[in-house]
Amino acid sequence: MSSVIWYIYEFARKSWAEKFAAAKTDSEIMEVPSRFRDFPEVRKEYCIACGACTAACPAPMAIKLVRSSDSAHEEGITYPVINNRGCIRCGFCAEVCPTDPKTLLCGENHLIREEFTILPVDKMFVIDDYLCIRCKKCLKACSQVAGAISEVDNKMVIDQSKCIGCGECIKNCPVKGAVKGIYINNVEEQKEIINLVVDTLEARIEAEQDKIKKLAPEEIYKIDFPINDLIKKAREIIPNDELIRDSIEKITDRLKMRILTWDDEKCNNCRLCTSECPSGALTYDKEKGVQRDADKCLRCSICYQTCPFGVAGFFIARFLLTDANIQNGMIQITLKPSQLPYRS
Amino acid sequence: MILPIGPVHPNLKEPLRLKLKTRGEKVLSAEIDYGYVHRGIERVMKGKTWQKGIYLSERVCGICSYIHTQTFAETFEKIAGERAPLRAQYLRVLTNELDRIQSHLLANSTYFKCIEHETLFMYMLYLREPVMDAIELLTGNRVNMGWNVVGGVKMDVNQSHLDSILKIILDLESEYDRYVEMFEHGPLVGLRSHDVGKLTREDAIKARAVGPIGRASGLNHDLREQHHTYRDNFDFNVIWRKDEDNYARTMNRFDEIKESIKLIKQVIENLPEGEVRKKVNIPAGYGEWRNEAPRGEVSYMIETNGNLIKNISIRTPSIMNIDACAKYMLKDVATVADAISTYASVDPCIACTERVVIVDESDNYREYAYPDYKLEYKDK
Repeated sequence: MSSVIWYIYEFARKSWAEKFAAAKTDSEIMEVPSRFRDFPEVRKEYCIACGACTAACPAPMAIKLVRSSDSAHEEGITYPVINNRGCIRCGFCAEVCPTDPKTLLCGENHLIREEFTILPVDKMFVIDDYLCIRCKKCLKACSQVAGAISEVDNKMVIDQSKCIGCGECIKNCPVKGAVKGIYINNVEEQKEIINLVVDTLEARIEAEQDKIKKLAPEEIYKIDFPINDLIKKAREIIPNDELIRDSIEKITDRLKMRILTWDDEKCNNCRLCTSECPSGALTYDKEKGVQRDADKCLRCSICYQTCPFGVAGFFIARFLLTDANIQNGMIQITLKPSQLPYRS
Repeated sequence: MILPIGPVHPNLKEPLRLKLKTRGEKVLSAEIDYGYVHRGIERVMKGKTWQKGIYLSERVCGICSYIHTQTFAETFEKIAGERAPLRAQYLRVLTNELDRIQSHLLANSTYFKCIEHETLFMYMLYLREPVMDAIELLTGNRVNMGWNVVGGVKMDVNQSHLDSILKIILDLESEYDRYVEMFEHGPLVGLRSHDVGKLTREDAIKARAVGPIGRASGLNHDLREQHHTYRDNFDFNVIWRKDEDNYARTMNRFDEIKESIKLIKQVIENLPEGEVRKKVNIPAGYGEWRNEAPRGEVSYMIETNGNLIKNISIRTPSIMNIDACAKYMLKDVATVADAISTYASVDPCIACTERVVIVDESDNYREYAYPDYKLEYKDK
């Protein structure tokens, strides 16, 4: 009996009733371990707006830089904002943050030492050892900015972990192509642009086939090709003008195209070429004579070297992008008959 | 009659379609459909730096996420021709074994749920929770740990961490035998597990079963034996059985947990002093590495240009194990309920499985993870 009275007394107490009414889980019940990686903590005041965190983030749309509006007294500041729905809490942004003290904090990041951090950038710079003349202009320019370029074994080497992608080395380099800026993102799109450029140029040369056939051995044939249409098509692939211009310039610099012309009228059906052709592009038919399948042709020039009548013509096309401006740029196509010997 | 189970079904952890061909209650054969959670992680990784790729590789598998980062990092270390510092290697073993314990306990708990032994199901999860806490204490997070980097591990440990982990492991060990005994000698459990889902040794070799599934069918093969850290510094036994049924697979996992506890004790006892991370200069190249995940062999093939991942291919153990299950285990099973429990005993991980596998048949491009080792199974 007495225990029942004690129960009733316990329930009737005011503090118990209050506790019951405002029942809520105690937030301190869960003990967070010291190394727990929560969403990154942003300390706006230290941010230098370098963009390393946005470039480093492996998750799309998880982090972006915003700028607060100017007030009457001072300018607005730029700082990163974390999107909690996209963030995977890897803490990589905190690892690459170059400020001291760090703008972003995530877990126990003080143990990560400076030598292991990298600053990932859109563009990766590479020095071509064959073209480099060791003038060390890039080294001087870089030492004032990031100090990523050094000389090892009489070679200029870029330390990718220090490179901040400013492009000073390319601006100071006197040799065209010795320092290359490579876009490391959108690799597939870059391939598509290159294919587009090569296909368009080839079609353009194909259209002039008749004039090329009549070229004399020492003559040079020139075509000017405006790139307006090319750029319009490339923009459909990726809307980044700088990348498009870069890709087109790179491909026109090193592209060398072999052009093979075929003059049926000169052919005497001697069939020397059909047995030599490695890909089976040339076939002999009793009624039609020697037939050439342009799709199978490898442009190896064996038929050109074999033919005693000069049916096949072999030309080398080179390209040059004249204007640096993307709007009225022009590709100069230069066609030259090949220097290879042929029987005639 | 064809009885479809899944892709969404309360008994399946992950989406997959199980088509059982039945006559009455008897299951004649089975077919398995994948393709519901393919995410194309390899494609996303291409053209990214390893620093980004290692976080993505972690997300290949939700349960054994740790071993993927370790294999990823060791592949890059192989390309660079270097090894992590010894202390980092020991810490990798520690985390790997903790991860193996929690993965095996989860796998067994799922099996017990499928044979409708709810008590053991709850007990297994109760045992697993402190191990997850140990992982969180050590690495910062419970599942996606972000603990490995190329050239070591991210953080050092101090004595207080090791003490708490040792305490958790000793607690687990002291209670452990009681729960194993409930399974080992339980009469009802025996009825549901003995001689169900047979996978003979010959069939296991044919289906290339790996991990505990292969070892329960008499394939004495564990890649940890050949891994340099385990081979040179640790003493442990490879657990294998000849029973070839669901009981053997579950018991194999239970016994492997004991070995893992032994390994963790060795790590905490002999942890060497030194660095936990060193800088690795990665050259351009191609590398291949294999490791023993909780479910078997996981292998990574990576091609890099020194900074970016040019090409990556991942092979996970569940591919072989699920095929072995569909082809050989789910053949002439007495009841549909047994088919479900057999499927669960394979410890399937569907998110792992949904990879694209490209096999080069010319065989010229093959490179072995452990060049001084020839793959051969020891006799029964």
